[in-house]
This record gives sequence, C-alpha cells and structure tokens, in this order.
Amino acid sequence: MKIYDMLIICLRNLWRRKGRTLLTVIGVVIGSCAVIVMISLGLGMNKAMDSMLSSWGDLTAVTIFNGNGSGMMFVTDDSHYSGNSNKEKPPLNDDALEMLKNIDHVSYVIPKITLSNEMVTLCSGRSDRYRLGWGEIYGVDFSMLEKMGYEIEEGAIPNEHNYKESIIYGNEITYNFRDTKKHGNASMTAKQQLPDGSFTKPFVEPVGGDFKIGINNTKKPNEDGSYPYGGRGYEYKLTGAAVLKQDPNWETPYSIFIDIDLAKEIIESYNRLNGVKKAKAPEYSQVKIVCENIDSVDAVQKAVEDMGFTASSMAQVRSQMQGELGVIQMILGGLAAISLLVAAISITNTMIMSIYERTREIGIMKVLGCFIGNIRLLFLMEAGMIGLLGGIIGTIISYIISFIMNTFAGSAFAQILGFGGDGGEVSIIPIWLVLLALGFSTVIGLISGYYPANRAVKISALEAIKNE
Amino acid sequence: MAFISVKNLRKVYKIGNEKVYALKKIDLDIERGEICCILGTSGSGKSTLLNMLAGLEKPTRGDIFINGTNVAKLSEKKLARFRQENTGFIFQSYNLISQFNALENVGMPLMFKGMPRSKRDKISAKMLKLVGLGSRMKHRPNQMSGGQQQRVGIARAFVAKPNVVFADEPTGNLDTKTTDEVMRLMVRMCRKYNITLILVTHDLEIAGYSDRIVHIIDGEITSIEKNESVYSPEDDEKKESGPDNNTENSEVSEQ
Repeated sequence: MKIYDMLIICLRNLWRRKGRTLLTVIGVVIGSCAVIVMISLGLGMNKAMDSMLSSWGDLTAVTIFNGNGSGMMFVTDDSHYSGNSNKEKPPLNDDALEMLKNIDHVSYVIPKITLSNEMVTLCSGRSDRYRLGWGEIYGVDFSMLEKMGYEIEEGAIPNEHNYKESIIYGNEITYNFRDTKKHGNASMTAKQQLPDGSFTKPFVEPVGGDFKIGINNTKKPNEDGSYPYGGRGYEYKLTGAAVLKQDPNWETPYSIFIDIDLAKEIIESYNRLNGVKKAKAPEYSQVKIVCENIDSVDAVQKAVEDMGFTASSMAQVRSQMQGELGVIQMILGGLAAISLLVAAISITNTMIMSIYERTREIGIMKVLGCFIGNIRLLFLMEAGMIGLLGGIIGTIISYIISFIMNTFAGSAFAQILGFGGDGGEVSIIPIWLVLLALGFSTVIGLISGYYPANRAVKISALEAIKNE
Repeated sequence: MAFISVKNLRKVYKIGNEKVYALKKIDLDIERGEICCILGTSGSGKSTLLNMLAGLEKPTRGDIFINGTNVAKLSEKKLARFRQENTGFIFQSYNLISQFNALENVGMPLMFKGMPRSKRDKISAKMLKLVGLGSRMKHRPNQMSGGQQQRVGIARAFVAKPNVVFADEPTGNLDTKTTDEVMRLMVRMCRKYNITLILVTHDLEIAGYSDRIVHIIDGEITSIEKNESVYSPEDDEKKESGPDNNTENSEVSEQ
C-alpha cells in the first residue's frame, strides 16, 4: 500500500468523525500549550537571570582577590567565594600574571592595585586645601580601560606619554573632597540637581585640575588620627584627565584610577618611607581574568584555583541560581506534562472507540488482502496526526499567549517570579522549542496509538463476513 | 493435482467441554474455471468450509491446496500476499466501505497491492462499466440500491483478476429479479476471465447457475452432482440476438 493512499484514508477517517477528532485534538492542544508556555517561561527566567547577573558583573570574568597582599580585603559571601584557605597563597605579582595569561581560553587579564586611604592622601588646590575624605585609588593599566568596559563621560583617556601624570575619576567620587579650611556642612558638597538641570559643582576640577598624591607617614600619626604626608620625593603631581560614566556594575562611581606603573612606584615609596623591611615586589590586589566565552569560565576558574589563588566568578553564582530555577522549571514542566499525559490517554481512548466502530471495515480490508502492517500503520498515522495537529495548533496558541504575557503582563509576571520587571521578555519561544513541541506531541500521539493499533491488527478477518 | 484440492479437512470447535464437529472429513477437488456451488442448510458447515478455503480460519486437520499453495499453512503476512494475488471475495451484505465511492471501493484490492492511484482508477472504471455501473462511479454505497452495491462488490472481487472468487450467499439480501441479474453477471465474469467461482448458498435456485453442486449436511459431503442445464452467457446472447450482441460492454438494465 502506498503511503500516499494511507495518508488519504487516515485524513478521511479523521474527517469522518470531525467532532470527536476535534475534541481529542483540543486535549493535545492544551497539553502542548502548557508544555510550551511553561518551558518558555523557564527560558524567560533564565534570560532574566543572565541579564541580572551580567548587571552585577561580567559573566565571562574570573576575579582573583588577593588576600595576603597589600590593599583592602574583600568581604564576600562564601557561596560566591570558593576559598582554599589552607593552602599557602602564591604572591599575585607579575610572574603570576604571566602564568594566568597562559591558561587556556583566557582572552586577557586586567590587574588592579589598590592604594588604601591609609597609604596615601589625595589632595588638590592651593596648600592642599581640598582633601579626599574617603575613596579607593586603583592602579590600572590605562590602555585596558576600554576593555574593562569603562566609558568616558567627560574629558579623554590620556595618551600613553601622560599615563603617569594623569588621574581619572568616577562620576561621584569628586564630591568626597572636603574643604579643610571650613568646618561642618560647609566643608562638604553634595551632588544635587539644580533647577536648571545641571548639578552642583564639587570643590575640585576633575578634568584639567591639578592634583597631588602624597605618601603617608604612618609612623607618626597626627593628633586627630590622620597621617602627615608628602614631602620631597614622596609627592606625585597629577592632572585630571577624565570622568567615567557610571557603569552598570557600579564599580566606577566611587573609584579613582591612576596608572598601574605609578601605583607600583607609590607602593615602593611607601615601603621606603615607612621602613617596611620585607618589601617584596608589589602585588596586585585584584586580577580580573576575562575568558573567551561563558562556557570556559569553569575550567579557567579551576585552573586558577589549582595555582593556589582564590577566585570567584559569576559562573558559580549562575550555576547555583540555575539549579534553583531548574527546580521551579521542573515543577512547572511536571504540571504541563500531566496535562499532556491526559491528552495522550484521550488519544488512546479515541482510537479504541474508532477501532470498535471500524471492526468490520478492518475485517474487510484483511479479506481483501491488506497487510496487517499497513493496518497498524494506518492507525498509528491517525493517532500521530491527532498529536501533530494538536502540536501545531498548540504552538500557534502558545505564541499568542506568549505575546500577551510579554506585552501586557510582563512586569507583573516578572515581579511574581522574583526578577525585577525590567521590561524584558517573560516568555521566550525559540524555534527549537517549536520543533521539540511538534515532535513531542507527534510521538505522544504515536505512543498513544500503539496499543489501539495492535488491537486493530488482531481483529479477525472473519468479523467482516459475519452477516448482519 | 486439481486447481483446488481439499484433503481430509476437519474443523472442530470446542464449546466448553463439548466438541462440535463443524466439518468432519471433507475431500474435494475443483478445476480451474469451474463454478462450484456448496449447497447446504444453515449450520451444515458450508460457511466454515468457505472460510477455510479463503484462509480466514485455520482447519483443525487437513490441507487445502489452491494453485499448489497450502493455504492452511500460510503465515498471516503470506496469506495477505496470497489473497492479493489469488482471491476475490463477494459478501452477502456487500461490505463496501461507506466513505469510499464506487470507484474507490472497486480499487481497494489494487490499492493494497500498492498500485498507484491513476492506474487503479483506470482499471476500476473499466470494471465498473463492465458490471453496468459506468454512470455510478462517484456514488457512495448509501446512494445505491442493493443490486448496484452488490455489482460494485462483484467488480471489486474481479478487479485484480484473481484465480478464484469466493461468494458467500451473494444474493441473500436481494430480491428475485436482482438475484437473477447478479448471478448472471457473476457467471459471465467468471467465464470471461476463466476464473474459478466457489459459491456458498442454501438456495437451490442459485445453485442452478453452477457447473457442480456439492451437497453438505452436518459437516459431511453427501453428494456431488453435475449440473447439466447450466446457465451460460451464450444463452443470453442467443435470446437477445440483434444487431449488437455485445451485452458484456453495454450497461445492464437497472431495476
């Protein structure tokens, strides 16, 4: 028997019992709709999670925080921070940097040196009138600024001859300069928007202004607890070069950047001034390792940790959150699967009824020489067709539901699901999901039709010649 | 060996602990092209015999050779192939498929053989014209009279040019006049293509159309008589002799 003929017969039989076919198809439509919508919600959640994580930090980055070197300690949640504190940590110096660069799948590394407020004093104006109250000064490679994703709000990245004479500010930190000639509120400025839309000006000129970094003498603190600073050979004159835009990770607004080589010199001077005896080569306080892609992050992090460093990455957070989301998705998927199971049972039921009705017809076909394989295939086709039809209609309806959710209920759903309604898509239906749904509903149909089809095959040809 | 050879055939049904002998011991030879009538009352075992000849039931004992093939020993799949190539079937209640039109019903055996649609439609149409239903090709069974339906059934039985056609009370649901027409048609088709016809009936009248009548009572053949005054299509031609005596191709008058 030709496949074409079987297809025609199968469609005719479905058409002959339109009402019943329709009801069965509706069952599959509901089931496949439930599955598609649930999975699409899961995908939406994943995407929302990824965009949320990437707003916290680069997903392809592994960051090493140096615990025993100079600079400040980072207090981190343990779950974000896989420490192997028992191990002696190697120094995070230039040699280490070279090794990190050679790990597979590492695109580039961005070292950072932190100069704490204890080590240096940053000031500006005549006789150092304006002094930085609080703020981290970071030594970074100025040529890497763009790769780090920092954008300029005002001014320009200095050219390489001026690296050591330049200083770059975050867009909030300049308000941390205090006027030492005044007291109380008058010694400070706060960033406020004026009626004309512009902002209040800080005491200092972040672009073009002159600044000075003085090294603190921590051996002889002043009466008020601050340190005397500067003096011949312990002062560095700088010019304000640029102000950075606020980055999505909130790294820049309260940061100040100087060139990494200058930062190293400053640390050496500090050690000299304060008589730090066991002065070693300067260590980096933090190294950001950028991987080629998100999938290589785990391997790179593993390699870094094997070298003895303490590293953290968003991938860890991500996989943990994914696990949590996975549980939610499994519950949703399970509910959807139940409705599909009900649909499958209704297909089986429909097919069995159809076979009862067609007992005589099946017998006639056998007497006329139809292969039993063809009869089986005929019924499997019918069941598969119900599944496929349900899958197609279900997909169309799912797209409509998805559209409605994204358009009208996007933020509400997002809030329910715990991700801030950032206007992103709640429900995502990629093409593979469509194909999967169609394939799956067809297979469900075939499986449901298997038992009835075998029943049909077993009907005796004698049934046909029994006289009514 | 004869074209159809039944040897030592027995069929026993078990009903509870009791054995019912539907067929006790049947030996029968039928030649190619013969029209053989199996005549018996209801419960005589004539239908059981037919079912076994057609391979619809397995005998308890014995062999059935049709054209050299032992039908009783064929597997389900080989049986289907055997039916496609060798047998046609005419039923008492026509057994047409209700959602198929006449043309599609006639083409069914060809469809099961895997013949493409255009080719089998051509053959089926020719066959329908032959049985006098050239103008009813697109009609569904429920749009036709009993006689017309049975003619579709006959066309379906003969369409694949089988070696043997089985007919189980083919006129049981028809009135006398139509019975006569249908019987003549069947005989004419058999003679035309030299096809063996095995006819099961309880009606002596119908038996008159056959070459040989096998009387069967309580599962045993009691007598086999040769029918001397057998109907032949030439009789019709002699009676209706006129300028055109090709009744075969002209449409038979309908009731």
